[in-house]
Amino acid sequence: MTSYNASRRYLYTGGIMLAIVVGFFLLGLFWTPYGINETDSASKLLAPCAEHIFGTDNLGRDVFSRCLVAARYTLLVSFAGVLFALAIGTVAGLIAGYNGGIVDKIVMIFSNGIMCFPGILLALVAVAVFGPSLYNVIWALGLVFAPTFARVYRSSTMELLGRDYILQAKVMGVHPIRIMLVHILPNLMSQVLPAVIIGLANMTLFESGMSYLGLGVQPPAASYGKMLSDAQSYMVAAPWLIFFPTLMLVFYILGLYFISEWVRTSVKGGSR
Amino acid sequence: MGSAVRSALIRLCEFLLTALLVSFFTFSAFAIIPGDTARVMLGPDATEEQVEALREELGLNAPLAERYFDWLKNACRGDFGKSLSFGNPVGELISSRLPVTLGMSLIALIFVVAISFPMAAVCSRNPGSIKDKSLSTAGHILFAIPPFALSMMLILFFSKVLHIFTAGRYTPPSDNFGAYLASLILPSLCIALPKIAMTFKFLRASMIEFSQGDFVRTAKSHGLSDLRIMLKHIIPNSAVSSITVISLVLSDIMGGSLIVEQVFNLPGLGRLLLAAISRRDFPLLSGIVFYLAMMTVILYFLADVISAVIDPRIRDGRAS
Repeated sequence: MTSYNASRRYLYTGGIMLAIVVGFFLLGLFWTPYGINETDSASKLLAPCAEHIFGTDNLGRDVFSRCLVAARYTLLVSFAGVLFALAIGTVAGLIAGYNGGIVDKIVMIFSNGIMCFPGILLALVAVAVFGPSLYNVIWALGLVFAPTFARVYRSSTMELLGRDYILQAKVMGVHPIRIMLVHILPNLMSQVLPAVIIGLANMTLFESGMSYLGLGVQPPAASYGKMLSDAQSYMVAAPWLIFFPTLMLVFYILGLYFISEWVRTSVKGGSR
Repeated sequence: MGSAVRSALIRLCEFLLTALLVSFFTFSAFAIIPGDTARVMLGPDATEEQVEALREELGLNAPLAERYFDWLKNACRGDFGKSLSFGNPVGELISSRLPVTLGMSLIALIFVVAISFPMAAVCSRNPGSIKDKSLSTAGHILFAIPPFALSMMLILFFSKVLHIFTAGRYTPPSDNFGAYLASLILPSLCIALPKIAMTFKFLRASMIEFSQGDFVRTAKSHGLSDLRIMLKHIIPNSAVSSITVISLVLSDIMGGSLIVEQVFNLPGLGRLLLAAISRRDFPLLSGIVFYLAMMTVILYFLADVISAVIDPRIRDGRAS
């Protein structure tokens, strides 16, 4: 039963990491020890101490408060972006997988086309054209991630098509939309769920990269990526400025990976 | 042979269609700018004459379809027009930045292949062992650190603690090739580490699968040593199946270098791209985007062709 234990370990480690980030998010909604843009010229670049447990940055802003508030943007962008991607990906993937043939070819060529823009390039273009803002980042990243979900839906739909109950529904003249929504969609959860969790993690990697470049979440809002880019000039004198935001990002992303690993191993019945 | 020719033709058609679509995406992204493109580029202070002159220069007065085909025709010849902020031809600017971005991508790819194959080989021999588990966990962690944060940590470690690397120093290859390579090694490693984790994960699974194959059992029964089986039978098979993954990784590496260049202050395509974004230099921006996307399209096509040449099952369209 070692694999059972290993899978449990993934759940616990991942769960604790995510709980910390979600705890930060919830706490940040109601309380922060200092204002996130409250500068204090008397306490610049302070190392972590009793008053500022994560230290302060070059403007004297409290890093702990900023970490609390930044969690909400990380969660917001990743969830909203994945939902947007999922909405497009579900429709495109179901239609492509169900119909096959030329419809499938068209959807696949489109999704290949989007996937040919490496990394955050397409999202950067969208932001360059429409201007950097929270909502532009969300839909741009959603668009970048949509093909991934479309592929998952397409291939799993194709696998289901040969099943007897789908064939019978077709013979009985059930409307294709009803077959897709009632008979196919609910059965794809086990394939889609890991993709969604990994999507959340990858979305966060992309979002933090864009915020680092100054093209993601915009000030005065705090984001981990922007905090890191601000900290870069001071990282020798004040390494805590890069340590804590990085730690938050890693907890969130790694937590999600571990949970997806747990989902994967427990769905397969504990096989490696 | 008929099926091989047919599937090769389908592949070629798909490649051309994707390339066309990518060019259309790039073009339309800059054609659908809300408001007047010329006005957006010049900012609110420009006079009506200046806006009209720029509109004429960019050919914005022609119909959309005509503009697209003109743009495509010129882009295929490597002519993306003139950069508005630098004044130089876009093609010239792009090629002047290539030594950094391509050099980094290539070194990163070498890192990925040279590290992930041995790692996967070690892990797949004893799945579930301590060695396997610790390497797999290390892979997970590497994958979860954003590349720019990883870069900062490595800069801190190598240049401030060990004093063996200076961040932000770049030597062009024409001046001193050794120094050029040295300035790119750490950034390449930062791009490569998360991709090593990704490639490793794939290779480990594929090597475990191959090591349970009939041909490995036969080789064992013939008394071949484990090392020989690994080198001659398992690794080559995994290498063939990993070609697609490697092409994905290489495209990711190019995308990742856009950010990492910024951390290391290297004059590559990523810096040029950001300069183009902040100066609203759309001809330059569309040139870079088109170039990078086309590289990826060609890369995927090459990966497809190489796997088809090596693997007869893919060549005849029997497996996808």
